[in-house]
Amino acid sequence: MKTLIVIPAFNEATNLTRLLPELIKTVNFDIVVINDASTDDTAQVVCEHGVKCFTLPLQLGAWGATQTGIRYAARKGYSQVITMDADGQHLPIEVNALMKRYRESSNNVIIGTFPSRLSYLKKLAWKFFKFLTHIKIEDLTSGFRLYDKQAIQVLSSKQASMLDYQDVGVLLLLLRAGLTINEVPVKMKDRSDGKSRVFSSWLVVLKYMVQTTTLCIANIGKRRTQ
Amino acid sequence: MTNITILIIGAILSISILYLVRKGKMHGPYATWWLLVALSAIVLSIFPQIIDWVAAKLGITYPPTLLLVLSVSMILIRMLTMDMALTRKERKIRRLTQKMAILEDALNNQESMITRNNTPPESVKKSQVG
Repeated sequence: MKTLIVIPAFNEATNLTRLLPELIKTVNFDIVVINDASTDDTAQVVCEHGVKCFTLPLQLGAWGATQTGIRYAARKGYSQVITMDADGQHLPIEVNALMKRYRESSNNVIIGTFPSRLSYLKKLAWKFFKFLTHIKIEDLTSGFRLYDKQAIQVLSSKQASMLDYQDVGVLLLLLRAGLTINEVPVKMKDRSDGKSRVFSSWLVVLKYMVQTTTLCIANIGKRRTQ
Repeated sequence: MTNITILIIGAILSISILYLVRKGKMHGPYATWWLLVALSAIVLSIFPQIIDWVAAKLGITYPPTLLLVLSVSMILIRMLTMDMALTRKERKIRRLTQKMAILEDALNNQESMITRNNTPPESVKKSQVG
């Protein structure tokens, strides 16, 4: 039963100096940071803390970086992967909450949710996606997740490489593979530094909405693969 | 006159394609597609009555419409297959990038292990010499 913590990071040197010591102190799982072609000294900071760091030569975005960690976990035979954001939004202590729920329930994926952080518009957007996809999960975009071995297999596939965002597409892929998803409420901190990658500007939001809607509509009525 | 123009265009196109293949700037399936386009331009410029004949068979009163509709749909199909090819390429690039990052890390670890393993014998040698 080996667990790997995967942290995708793009220009998160300052946040990682705060997060990594706390994380190392709190949990004794293996940690890997995926440096998504950062322009600051993210890689250096990670190495100084004695944590494994993969540096992507091209920028792949949050999901592409996360999948790198998941593929590594599949290669090395880890039984669980926990993904968390590098910006300090997800608290290291809450990793235990994910693990606890995973052991108690028999689900393949556990999502750490913090619904009260949502703005009105985000809630509306998610209602729309939930209506399109019939996913019954409160927090669609939370990057604080635990994947078990089966989920790791599904998400390291070639098909998962074509996803652009880690939320709805990933959940659809998991559900289609017949895996079960559960969620557990966790505390989250406000972003201490930096901006959200998805909801940063109106144009980006529009692109996200259009792409995700297309994905949802294309997946309507698709059968389970397993 | 138009027929001669199209014949010239077709001829120039086919010569250009062959030149590009010769220079290694276009490969396999793409070259075949463009040569077919050039070939059909040449054939249609020599025998323009083909269009009239097919249009009559299909019940199209104004034959040039057939030519335009056909060419636009061919362009659309080509663009669609191009985007499909681009998607495949994008997926390959993403997976290569991921694999490269993982392998680079493994390589670095191996190198540092080799240097670590190599240091003791050197120090031993030095002490023997000293």
